[in-house]
This record gives sequence, C-alpha cells and structure tokens, in this order.
Amino acid sequence: MGEGGRIFGDKRPREPESSDWFEREKSVSRRSPHPEFPWEPHLGATACSGPVSMKKCTGIRTILQGVVPLLLVLHWKHGAGSPLPITPVNATCATRHPCHSNLMNQIRNQLAQLNGSANALFILYYTAQGEPFPNNLDKLCGPNVTDFPPFHANGTERTRLVELYRLIAYLGASLGNITRDQKVLNPNALSLHSKLNATADIMRGLLSNVLCRLCNKYHVAHVDVAYGPDTSGKDVFQKKKLGCQLLGKYKQVIAVVAQAF
Amino acid sequence: MLALQTWIVHALFIFFTTESVGELLDPCGYIKPESPVVQLGSNFTAVCVLKEKCMDYFHVNASYIFWKTNHLTVPKEQYTIINRTASSVTFTDTSLLNTQLTCNIRTFGQIDQNVYGIRIISGLPPEKPKNLSCIVNEGKKMMCQWDPGRETYLETNFTLKSEWATEKFADCKTKRDTPTSCTVDYSPVYFVNIEVWVEAENALGKVTSNHINFDPVDKVKPNPPHNLSVSNSEELSSILKLTWINSSIQGFIRLKYNIQYRTRDSSIWSQIPPEDTASTRSSFTVQDLKPFTEYVFRIRCMKEDGKGFWSDWSEEASGITYEDRPSKAPSFWYKIEPSHTHGYRSVQLIWKTLPPFEANGKILDYEVTLTRWKSRLQNYTVNDTKWTVNITNDRYIATLTARNLVGKSDAAVLTIPAYDFQGNLAESKCYLITVTPIYADGPGSPESIKAYLKQAPPSKGPTVRTKKVGKNEAVLEWDQLPVDVQNGFIRNYTIFYRTIIGNETAVNVDSSHTEYTLSSLTSDTLYMVRMAAYTDEGGKDGPEFTFTTPKFAQGEIEAIVVPVCLAFLLTTLLGVLFCFNKRDLIKKHIWPNVPDPSKSLIAQWSPHTPPRHNFNSKDQMYSDGNFTDVSVVEIEAANDKKPFPEDLKSLDLFKKEKVSTEGHSSGIGGSSCMSSSRPSISSSDENESAQNTSGTVQYSTVVHSGYRHQVPSVQVFSRSESTQPLLDSEERPEDLQLLDNTDSSVGNFPRQQYFKQNCSQRETSPDSSHSERSKQVSSVSEEEFVRLKQQISGISQPYGSGQMKMFQEISVADAFGPRTEGQVERLETVGMEAAVDEGMPKSYLPQTVRRGGYMPQ
Repeated sequence: MGEGGRIFGDKRPREPESSDWFEREKSVSRRSPHPEFPWEPHLGATACSGPVSMKKCTGIRTILQGVVPLLLVLHWKHGAGSPLPITPVNATCATRHPCHSNLMNQIRNQLAQLNGSANALFILYYTAQGEPFPNNLDKLCGPNVTDFPPFHANGTERTRLVELYRLIAYLGASLGNITRDQKVLNPNALSLHSKLNATADIMRGLLSNVLCRLCNKYHVAHVDVAYGPDTSGKDVFQKKKLGCQLLGKYKQVIAVVAQAF
Repeated sequence: MLALQTWIVHALFIFFTTESVGELLDPCGYIKPESPVVQLGSNFTAVCVLKEKCMDYFHVNASYIFWKTNHLTVPKEQYTIINRTASSVTFTDTSLLNTQLTCNIRTFGQIDQNVYGIRIISGLPPEKPKNLSCIVNEGKKMMCQWDPGRETYLETNFTLKSEWATEKFADCKTKRDTPTSCTVDYSPVYFVNIEVWVEAENALGKVTSNHINFDPVDKVKPNPPHNLSVSNSEELSSILKLTWINSSIQGFIRLKYNIQYRTRDSSIWSQIPPEDTASTRSSFTVQDLKPFTEYVFRIRCMKEDGKGFWSDWSEEASGITYEDRPSKAPSFWYKIEPSHTHGYRSVQLIWKTLPPFEANGKILDYEVTLTRWKSRLQNYTVNDTKWTVNITNDRYIATLTARNLVGKSDAAVLTIPAYDFQGNLAESKCYLITVTPIYADGPGSPESIKAYLKQAPPSKGPTVRTKKVGKNEAVLEWDQLPVDVQNGFIRNYTIFYRTIIGNETAVNVDSSHTEYTLSSLTSDTLYMVRMAAYTDEGGKDGPEFTFTTPKFAQGEIEAIVVPVCLAFLLTTLLGVLFCFNKRDLIKKHIWPNVPDPSKSLIAQWSPHTPPRHNFNSKDQMYSDGNFTDVSVVEIEAANDKKPFPEDLKSLDLFKKEKVSTEGHSSGIGGSSCMSSSRPSISSSDENESAQNTSGTVQYSTVVHSGYRHQVPSVQVFSRSESTQPLLDSEERPEDLQLLDNTDSSVGNFPRQQYFKQNCSQRETSPDSSHSERSKQVSSVSEEEFVRLKQQISGISQPYGSGQMKMFQEISVADAFGPRTEGQVERLETVGMEAAVDEGMPKSYLPQTVRRGGYMPQ
C-alpha cells in the first residue's frame, strides 16, 4: 500500500497493510532533511547497522547514489550504531492533511489498548511455542533484551514522545520479525498471528499520532531510531526465545509507558 | 473418404470467404472521430473522408455523401461539404444515448453504398459523490458508501481513497455490482484519524467528493453481546437477572446498551429506560415483572458517547420469574342436592382454576373450610376443583383458598343458607335481595335490589337546620334518615316555613336532596321551619327549627361605613390643608401675635420676678419663633469691689440721674418703645449716643393689665429713653445694661440688678405704630438688695475654685468675642469680674445681645 518497499524481505508473506509501516517512518525522515544537518545518511547507516534486512539497505543504497556521497563518508563512522539526535527544532513538518487536535487523548487510548492486550499476546505466544516455554518462562522469556530503547517517564512531554517514538518503532520492527518467524514456525497458530498483526497495526497508528504531535507542537520532523537484532539467521529455538523475551519486555515496558501518559 | 471430401469443401469455402471478406473490409473512407463519447445535450460533428481510390472507382466526391443514424437518413441541412473528399454532419443537442452513424454514398445514381460507420455513445460526466459515510463493523474492515449522484449512462469508476496524516492507504476500487460502496483492504486502526474521500471518473470527466475525517472508533458497529442468560430470584418474584458477555471492543471503549423484553406470548417489545443502561456492564436486573411469567430478552450495544452504530440485537434468551402467592381467591359457588338422610343435605362446592396471571405459580391444592353457625370450623384440603360434602340443614359459611409453592391466596367466602330459609320477613324492614346467576363455567355478576315487605310512614322526621342564612334567603340542610327509621322508600320531603304572624308555606323536595335554598325571605324576620319525610304510606314531621334573617346582607354595612369614613377623612384632610395654606390669615384673625406684657423682658427688672424663671420663659419664647423680630438686651451687672475708673464715672452719672428722677414716674403708657439706658449712663460716649434717636430719658409704668387675662406678676417702673417700639423688630440692639450698686449701705456687696431690653424694630415694615415701647428700671429697695445678696451668697457658696476658673475662662473668651463685633461693653467686663469674684450663678451672668435672640453666657 505504501510507496516504499518491504522492510523484512520479499520472501516474508506479510499482510499488505502491515508490511511497510516502518518504511513509512523512514520516508518521513526523508521528507524533510535539514540543510545544515543532512541526517539522511546517518539514518541509513543506523538502520543498516542493525541486522534487520538487506532490503532496507537496498533502499538506502539509492540514496547513497545521490548528492551526498562525500558527507556520507565523513559521517559514516560517527553515526553508526547509535541513535542519532533529533532534527533541529525548526525543521519543516509536512503531513498529508492537518493533524487532529485530540492527539494526546488518542495516544493515551492507543497505549491503553496496547497495554490491555500485551499480556494476552505474551501468553498466546509462549503457549503457541509449546514446551519448554510455558514452564520455563523465567529462564526463556525473561525481559533480557539488549539495546532496548530507554524510556523516562518523568521527562517532558516532548522527550517522552520522542522516546515513545523510538520505542514503538523498535517494537514494531521486532513484532514484524516475530510475525514473520511465527508464520513459518507455527503456521497454525492463527490467533497468535492475528494478535501480532493487530498489535503491529495499533503501533503503526500510534507512530502516526506521535509523529503528528511531535510535528505539530514541537516541530520535530525527524527522529532517529534503532532496531533490534535480526532473527532471520538464527535457529528455531533462538527465534522463539528472542520473540518470547521481546514480548515479555514489551509487556513490562508498555505498562510503564501507558502510565506515563 | 467422405470425411476427407467434406473437409476439403470446408477449407475451400473458408478460403474464398476470407478472400472476399478481405476485399469488403477495405472501406471506401472513414469517419472521424472513430469512437466518440458525447455529453448529452451538447453538439457533435462527424466528418466522413472518402478515399481517392474509391472516388475514382465510383466516380463520386464528397457531395455524394449522405448520413444515416440508425438507418434513417439525416437531413441534408445538417451536412457541410468541407472539400472534395470530406463531408461533415452536425447534430445539435444530442439526446440519443447509443446511436449508429453511417457515412454513405450513392453510386451510379442508384446504388447506396455504405462507406463507414461508427457508434456514438452519449452520457454525462459524473456528479460529485455525496453523503459519504463509513462504518467499521467490529472485527471486519471498514466499509464506506456514498450517493453517486445522477445517472451518467456511461461506465463510471468510483475509487475510495483514504489516508492518515502521515501515510496514504491503497485505493479501494468499487466492484461492478456495488458501485456505491467499497470495503477497504486494511484492518481499521482505532484512535487514529483517517481522511476518506471518493473519486468518480468516466469518459467525460473526474470529480472528487468532500473529504471526511474521523476516528474509526467513532464509526464502530460493535458485535452484539453474546451468551445472554436469564436467571430468576427466589426472594423476589418480580425480577429477572440478565448476564451477558460483551464483545472484545469493550476492552478499550465504553459501551451503552438497549435491553428489550416481552412475555413469551406477546410480540411487542418493552424497553428498559436507556439511562439505566448507559454504561459498560455485563449484567442487569429487570424489575417490575409479573410473577411466574416467562419473559424473552434481547440486548444490543454501542459506543457510550453515542458515536458509531448500534450493534445487531443479540440472540434472544428467556427466563421465568419466581412464583408468588396467588393474587386472587378462586371464584366459588355451591349446588345443594337433596339428601335422603333426614336432617342432612348434600352440598357440592365448585370453583374455577385461577388463570396464570392470578395463580402466580403452580397451584398445589385448595383449602376449604366449613363453619356452622357458632361452631368451630373444619378444614379440608382438596386437589380437584369441586368437592361434595354432606352437611346439616343449618347455615354454613364456606371459605376457599388456593395454595402454591409460595403461599395461599385470600379466602373466598360463601354462605350456604339454612335449609328452611323461607320468609320470616318483617314489615317495614329493608331487605337487600341479591341474585347471582350461575353459568356452566362459573357465576355471573350478581344483581341486587332493596325491597320492603310492607312500607310504613317513617318513624322519625328529618331534622332540618340552616347551613347559611342571608338577608333574603336561607340554605337549609338535613341528613338522610337512617334505614331503621325510614320504614319504606322515602319518596319526597316537604319543608314548611312561616313567620310568627304569617301563613305557613310548604315546599316539596325530591328525596335525593339533602339541601334546599329558601328564597324571597324578609329581612330581620324570625322564621320557623320544619320538615317532613314521606314514604308511600305517609309522612312524619321532624322538629321545628327557628332562625332569623339578618337586617343587612353580608357586606352591606361595610358598603355604607367605608364610604362615610372615607368622606370624613377626605373632608378633614381638606380642612387641614386649607388651614395650613391660610395659617397666616387665620392666625391674624384668631390669635394675633400680641405679646404678653407680663412676660415682657422688661418685667424682669422687677426683683420679684425670679430671674431663672424669666430666663426659661425667654428661651421658650424665642424657641417658638414667634418673636423672631424681638431682640433682647439683658444686662447683668454686679458691683465690683474695684471698679474701673471709667465704670465708676459712668456709674456716678447714672446715680445722679437716678437721684434726680427718683420718685417720679412718667406714665407714658402708649409710648411703647423701650430704649437702652446707656446714653444716660455714658453720655460722653459719642459712638453710642450717635445711634440714639432720642436724647431724652423717659420713665414709664408698665401696664397693669396683661393681654387676654394675663396679669402681670409685678408692677414695676421702668425708665425708658428710647423711642423704639417695644415689640418691633430689632435691628440694632441697644445692648447696654447697667448695674447700679452704688448704695453705700450695701457696702462692698454687689448690688444685683439687671434689665432686659426687648426692642423690635421693623425697619422694612412701615407698620411700626403697633409696636410698643417700654422701659423698666427697677427701683430696687434695700430689702430686695439684701435678699438678692443672700441668694447670691447662698448660691455661690457651693462653687469651688474649679467653678471659678471656669468662669474666668468664659470671661476671657467672651471678652474677645463681642469685641470683634464692635459691641463690647465695659460694663460687661465689670459684670464678669463680679461674677468671677463672687461666684455668681449662671442666670445672673450678663447677656450679650445677639440678633434675633440672646446667648446665655
């Protein structure tokens, strides 16, 4: 449905409506680069530094052929591997149509929606994986996720929204990976697939609202994001375990975030 | 072999046919435009161009062209020959929707040959789609629909477009069979506003609807609540509790509900008030239901704030309310059958089963009791609806109750009369005879009638009394006669009334009345009234009642008194107003403003007049304001032990004059001007003497007789040297007062004397002849001086040094005050000092003359 390509590779049988939500985020970043801080190569570097997919790197490659190869070389190492700062405040925000005025209320409702379904999703996931997961949750599904974006509940609204954006982008990408893996590993766990897709859809809407809010009120047009580890190359157990850990962490974090708003 | 031949024939046929068709398909010309789509009502022009080859072959040019539409030749007026090879035809206001247009030529003068043909398609551009609305069925994708507008007669494509503020979604293309609605491919995401619009496009144009922007959660049609169940309560037979499971959307939106119910037999649904079900819940207790009745329920829900759509109705669920005790006793009657046993009879009691709405449950059995006259009752439990029992010929009372699980109904009571119940009816007693019809399925409604065996006149007449008595009428009332004394049907009443002297008048009144108004009565008259009640057999008078009509009707007295009082009040008011307006005139005529000589200030020269009294009266006089034109000069002086030389000098002069005039009195009588004595005291004072118009000193005797029976208290002599009228308005108070204390026999003791001068001088008024002049000079005897001395010493005794000091201060203040007015008198100073030294009482202090009055010091 979007104009960008798929994030997680062409082989992954994703629903069209949930395939390119992350790509959209990237396109938002692309839409308004600041003349003095051409962060686009940085975003590309950040995105490609994580083992998400080669498709994304292919998309970035087209940018690399653009007008900034020299800057790319200069900034490549500097920006690699870590989230980059926010675009300067005076960056232009362009949306397809004016954002709705009730954004914060909608964001709160979306967080409540996510929070309300997170535990069920977690249970559904580890139940679908079968043994040894249901009986070894502490060992296998403990929230030990590396590089998980931080969230500070006591920050300003602007900071919280930026951190929320990073968090949801991270979770959305990870959910995409989990969905892709589960459709292969547990093709009959339809309710799990459905729940994963529904959660990813909510996150997509949440990102849209957060971006609107950041644009409208804080004139933040660009937030650099980082993604979790790619599971495509891992074995079946590792895929299940990483997914379980991620959902456990998600359940834990989303409660804090929902409370913070 | 045959098959081979057949194949060859077919092949040849196809070959030749194809050859010939190829020739035919090469047209002689063509029409531009090739496949036009024309808007209805617009002009359309087509051009037919002939090929040179054809023209040469058939020897024709463009003028040979003629046009046909649907095989009808178009009039030549619509043709235009463009050049040798081209001819056009123009249609104005195209209304044909689907027209075949052919270009033809006539060859060899007679053969019409078709050159080319096209099909004209006409229609309209799409209208802007209206009324775009979307619905999100829970768990399904969003579906939008719209009003496509007018018919276009063309194939029109509708595309539903949607986007977030940050992202565009895939277009939704309508299907051919549902061109006015489209269901999007993506799952709805709640709490993100989406913008949706429709594009309509056909060969004649493209148009876009208005954009609508909404949160899909506000367009939700939830799934109906499921697993609806109904349970009753043993405690309350009028309630049923519903429980259900909400749809999963309840996890993030709040819901409200509609709950409807009906009895199993009814088809009309009743609805629980929506305000009772306006919030998310999963159970509800329905009240005010009938006991032991089966109810059917259904429920639906929608978003609590009313945005969105109602869900479909849930599946129906039914439940039965719990039992309650029967609400009514069964209908009950009896049949008596003759019995062969002597003294007994067989009675069959029959009753009807209660209908469900009265039974309120399953009737388990019936309880019958039989009570013989004044004996204990007997209980029987019956399962059937009839019961036969042998009873004696006595009178019985039977009761019947129906019993269900919860309790018993009220009892139905039936009296079974004694066997020999006949007659024994008394005359002139009222009997109520009731007849109850008995049908096959139970008793009908009973009818009753009152009856007498034989009537008699009433044993008592009605007692009449007045309810209201007016001047010319009286309202009488009475009570109905008790049944005991009626002795028959009261047919009418007769009222008799009369005055003491008049004839008796009778009035008949219908027996249904208990009130009657007697009219045309005479006022202030004693009436006697009595009443008789009549049955068919005669009448009986009641006691006589007496009343008197009043003299005046109610309110009549008030109608007389009030206007009189008002008139009196008005007259009084007018009188007062008149007097007030003419008060000067009235005063002049009735009590002219003539002063009382006895209260004249000059009278106070007399030692017999108590000084304090005079002061008071003066106060009153001035306070009245009647003598505003009278000025008072009040001089009080006391001898000082050490008089100033000037004073001594003036006192000497005064003494001389006094000695020379002692014993004389000039009765100047009518001369009523009282002048100051000052010129005689200090004749050397040029300023003062210049003010005097008269240089002579006169003595006068104050008139004895007072004004209007007022007797002057003392007869005194006064010396006057003024020519001013006595009560004339005072313009220049001659304000010297002299105290003569030179009597050596008194020694150092101050000899009290003062005189007052009232002088009115109305300069502006020429009417000064009326004024009086008087002057009083007290001829004080030695004894009086002694008495005064004693008084003063007596009074001054209690005063201490404090009092003295006070007086000193006053004197200082006073010494400066009058001086500024140029009216300072030396004698005042002398007097003041005397007062200081001797502690003079306040009333003896010298007074300063002020305009219009005086000021006590």
